[in-house]
Amino acid sequence: MSPRSTRRRLGVALVAVAAAATLALSGCSSNSTSTSSSGTTSITMFTGQVGNFTENFNPLNNTGAYLPQTNGAIYEPLFYYNKARAGKPVPLLGTSYSWNSDGTQLTVKVRQGVKWSNGKPETADDVVYSLNLISNNAALNTSGVKWVAKKTADDTVVITFPTTSFTLEPQVLGNEPIVPESIWKKISDPTKVTNTEPVGTGPYMLKSFTPQSYVLEKNPHYWGTGASAPKVDQVRTISLANADAATSALQAGKTDYMGAFLPTLKNIMAKNKNLSYSNSPQATTALFTCENAALGCTGPQTDVAVRQAMYYAMDRTQLDKQAAAGFSAPASPSLVLNTVNKAQITSPKYMEVPQKANVAKAKKLLEADGWKLGSNGYYAKDGQELDLSINVVSGWTDYDTICQLLQGQFKAAGIKLTVNQMAQNAWTQSESTGKFQMSMNSVNMGVSSDPYFQYNNYLSTSATAPVGQPAKSTNTSRYSNPSVDAAIKKLATTNDDSVKQAAYKTIQDQIVKDMPYVPVYVNSALAEYNNTRATGWPTQSNQYAFPLPWGGNWGMGIVLKTIRPVK
Amino acid sequence: MRFYLQKIAFYVVALWAAVTLNFLIPRLMPGNPVDIMISKMAAAGQPITAGTRHALAIELGGSSGSILQQYGDYIVNLLHGNLGISLTNYPEQVTTVIGQALPWTIALVGLATVISFILGIGLGMLAGWKRGSWLDNLIPVTTMFQAVPYFWLALILVLVLTRVVPIFPFAGGYDVTSTTPGFSLSFIGSAIYYGFLPALTIVISSIGGWMLGMRNMMVSTLSEDYIVTAEAKGLNPRRVRMTYAARNAVLPSLSGFAISLGFVVAGSIVTEQVFSYPGIGQLLFTAVSNDDYALMQGVFLVISLSVLAANLVVDVLYGLIDPRTRARS
Amino acid sequence: MDTSIAVTNKAGDKPTRVRRESSLSRLLPSRSAKLIVGLIIAGVIILWGIVGPLLVGDPHAISTDAFAPPGPNHWLGTTQTGQDVWTQVAYGTRGSLIIGFVVGILATVLSAFFGVLGAYIGGAVDEGFALFTNVALVIPGLPLVIVIGNYVPQNQRGLFLIAVVLAITSWAGSARVLRSVTLSLRNRDYVSASRVSGEKTWRVLVVEILPNLIPVMASQFVFAIIFAILGEAGLSFLGLGASNTFTLGTILFQAYNDLALTQGAWWWFVPPGLVIALFGCALSLINFSIDEIINPKLRNQTRAARKAWGLTAEQIKRLEKEDVK
Repeated sequence: MSPRSTRRRLGVALVAVAAAATLALSGCSSNSTSTSSSGTTSITMFTGQVGNFTENFNPLNNTGAYLPQTNGAIYEPLFYYNKARAGKPVPLLGTSYSWNSDGTQLTVKVRQGVKWSNGKPETADDVVYSLNLISNNAALNTSGVKWVAKKTADDTVVITFPTTSFTLEPQVLGNEPIVPESIWKKISDPTKVTNTEPVGTGPYMLKSFTPQSYVLEKNPHYWGTGASAPKVDQVRTISLANADAATSALQAGKTDYMGAFLPTLKNIMAKNKNLSYSNSPQATTALFTCENAALGCTGPQTDVAVRQAMYYAMDRTQLDKQAAAGFSAPASPSLVLNTVNKAQITSPKYMEVPQKANVAKAKKLLEADGWKLGSNGYYAKDGQELDLSINVVSGWTDYDTICQLLQGQFKAAGIKLTVNQMAQNAWTQSESTGKFQMSMNSVNMGVSSDPYFQYNNYLSTSATAPVGQPAKSTNTSRYSNPSVDAAIKKLATTNDDSVKQAAYKTIQDQIVKDMPYVPVYVNSALAEYNNTRATGWPTQSNQYAFPLPWGGNWGMGIVLKTIRPVK
Repeated sequence: MRFYLQKIAFYVVALWAAVTLNFLIPRLMPGNPVDIMISKMAAAGQPITAGTRHALAIELGGSSGSILQQYGDYIVNLLHGNLGISLTNYPEQVTTVIGQALPWTIALVGLATVISFILGIGLGMLAGWKRGSWLDNLIPVTTMFQAVPYFWLALILVLVLTRVVPIFPFAGGYDVTSTTPGFSLSFIGSAIYYGFLPALTIVISSIGGWMLGMRNMMVSTLSEDYIVTAEAKGLNPRRVRMTYAARNAVLPSLSGFAISLGFVVAGSIVTEQVFSYPGIGQLLFTAVSNDDYALMQGVFLVISLSVLAANLVVDVLYGLIDPRTRARS
Repeated sequence: MDTSIAVTNKAGDKPTRVRRESSLSRLLPSRSAKLIVGLIIAGVIILWGIVGPLLVGDPHAISTDAFAPPGPNHWLGTTQTGQDVWTQVAYGTRGSLIIGFVVGILATVLSAFFGVLGAYIGGAVDEGFALFTNVALVIPGLPLVIVIGNYVPQNQRGLFLIAVVLAITSWAGSARVLRSVTLSLRNRDYVSASRVSGEKTWRVLVVEILPNLIPVMASQFVFAIIFAILGEAGLSFLGLGASNTFTLGTILFQAYNDLALTQGAWWWFVPPGLVIALFGCALSLINFSIDEIINPKLRNQTRAARKAWGLTAEQIKRLEKEDVK
């Protein structure tokens, strides 16, 4: 359907609007229940997309403009790394892998008998082609490391790295889609195609597309059998404008699978017995402080006593209740999750941040550092009042609420907090260039639950830049600590658990002392399901995959092939 | 002839100014697409390394050369109908993306504007003809709806008519599960059904202005001498009403109508937010929140052009209908 | 028509009563219920916007009493964070009124400058001003709002900035109206006469033309206020409103974002909109009356009004018959 003919037809269609409205009204309300015809089973997803869909199933695109099911449902990587729980990666197109001792060679056994959705066989050659395609294309290779993949046997691929690269494992094995060589070798620039007829190995394939909705159907050639074969015939995706419409859609049974933060979720669930949800807290919400005066940060937050005082002045119970609607989880001062990363937290003291405010301790910390309580109720030092500003994106309601609540909580500890609500672009810019005092953001997990990624992205000197220049990665606090840098380097070059554990300890001891990011709580990641048409969704206790239907989440494909239709 | 030449020259200048501002505005805005993409990727758990910034910078390209050079490229591209590539819909062309959304907006908001205008003019004419009648007394009530924030009214109507009494669907352009776009009865019916409530909110909130304007002009016109003459000659009242009074009274409303047609595209943004309608307003909103310069420029261009075109139509029509505007000493 | 009524009026004392009225009250439409109602509502809301914030507490104050329905503790209930809606509406009303009046004044000054001055001087100046006006009319306001919003330091981006932006994007329409009115006025005979008699240009403008423009400008001013308050609410709804201040628009934005409607917390969503609606209605009513000053033909001639003129029932019937024709 070309847009042009749609427009003409629409024009004709809607001329009759006034006269036909009542007619259509009665005519349509009768067939508005969308029961699928002729016994096909189907579910509907909402992936957070607003407005029209653009047909793009290019799995290699970094900009994330591909439709979210592309990676996971249509294309698959070699292994799936589940960020929602600890454990070994799940074999997909690979079956097993092993490293050589110095971490420069990764040997992968490739699954045999896999077919593309067009019926042609998928082989180790396709794996080699796909991995090298990414490695050799500067625009696609986000790791910046050039590896070389080679087929050594029909079922074996060896990937060689220039340096020790243990930490690239989840990226190479778990985040690179395998594409058919026969199709992609004809494409001159893989970053600029929209790949409207995707051919992948995943459990689903494209059936039909319109800008308002698209449908995937079961891939008849899928390699999985039994429990790991797709069972629901069709998956439809719709777009809605906002959380309000999403709530309505969920309640009206118009969506079966979506991921949105709905503060009223518990009420909705209580009223609708067929609905269920899962919560996979993953990102640690924190006050990002521009803490490093040596790199150009200015303001009271460059004083470590102030950051420590804020850490103790927070009443996190109230924040959870009123900002996160009770869905958040306690954070760990180590900045990794005390659930999936429990084994990597090196001291019981670092397990959980204090949940109740300890104003006396906060004040003591400040006074020990030379701050004096003024007559207006706020501390001051050298004639400078303890007045901090925090940037927050206006419209991110949970974060806005945290800031409002913190204003009151910090006041009790003699700390003045000014909240700057700003547009997302300006907020991103201020954080990236370091032109902020504090910023409300979250520390996100990397490509797998390995703490290395968080520590490297948020704490290493190589991930930051002086104030005025954009941070090279996400270390926007400008934190720079040689012993942390050394420990991170150690993490990158070893596969030995005891060495890693020692490095974790170094890092955690340092950041708990320095507090560049003041943790608030682990933010909720809610996914909602309707069990009327399909069951087998992830539950709170069984998070077999990270379920949020976002672009780039391979777990969505696992969820889609696991659910089964209700008979 | 001189009048029209003057006008054409005028519109060329106005067009140039609009296009140039359109070029400047995104360039003056802070933020850059690479930073935004990085923060989005981080939030989605994508790996961010020092190489990421480099890779994104290559993939997204970006402006190069002096500002004058960029301006030259921009004008050349514009003349070729090339509006660039949309970042949020990468690597889709802006023209394609706009092309998908525009028909929905024109159909919904455009038709609602036309309906509102015709109804408003008709009712305003009757109210002006029979002053003091119930219809005339209704006018302050309809004007009231104009003083209410549109989205507030719309959201309350949505709440009542889609949740409390579920008569209408709450979101979308048509029923995606039962039909596909095409020239079929089911699609047309579905599109009308889904568009009814948004159209109703537009009509309710805008009809008052047309009614009031028409009523007042009607009242003024009715006291003109030529109406008295017509009545004195004993012409049929209907003829006096339609041919003598209404025809002259509708002139100012017509110019307002042309301008409001121009703002159909711009005015759709809130409606489409409320109703999750797949039109150009949502596109603009997405573009703004994602720093998608090319898409933003494209949408602004469509808005500017439609407003300019509507103005041109008004000017030309007025020159034709009302000779007084042409002759100005 | 007015004269014919005076002639048919047999009760001789009535016209004298009319004549006794001062010139100002003759300018105003007599005993207009619309005007009185409009003035009262607008007055109450303006008073509330001035006094209200002094009577209530801190609008930011948070309590654990979230989403409480209206009751004795919270007259209009509470928000998601337990803030008092009544208090917020008081501050919000003040914020919205400030925006309304600032925009009204700025837009009127701008439109008078570009509309009246240009049209009166004529020639190249008029062409230039008209060009500028038309360009301003076609520039989408939204990007301007975003650009300026992003440029101004965050802590200074408040009511006044939004007001200035709204004024910049809203004056052009009324400048066009003023220009066309001025164009027609400057060609009137009495203006030509005063010019011929040697009056200075500025004097012609100020003494002969401006007084005739005042009702139009007043109407544009009132309209600009409505536009600004609604515009601010719309911008806020899209998340582009003033930050760190309360306006009725930002309250609505918060309520919508926190799903007040789907959670049944109508007390958070309905009142701010209602205040805007009431104020807008009041201004519309005032505008009706101003329109009647500009255009005396619009003045009310309903049954009630004619009774008040002292017409007999027969006369009213006869007049109505004429009207219906």
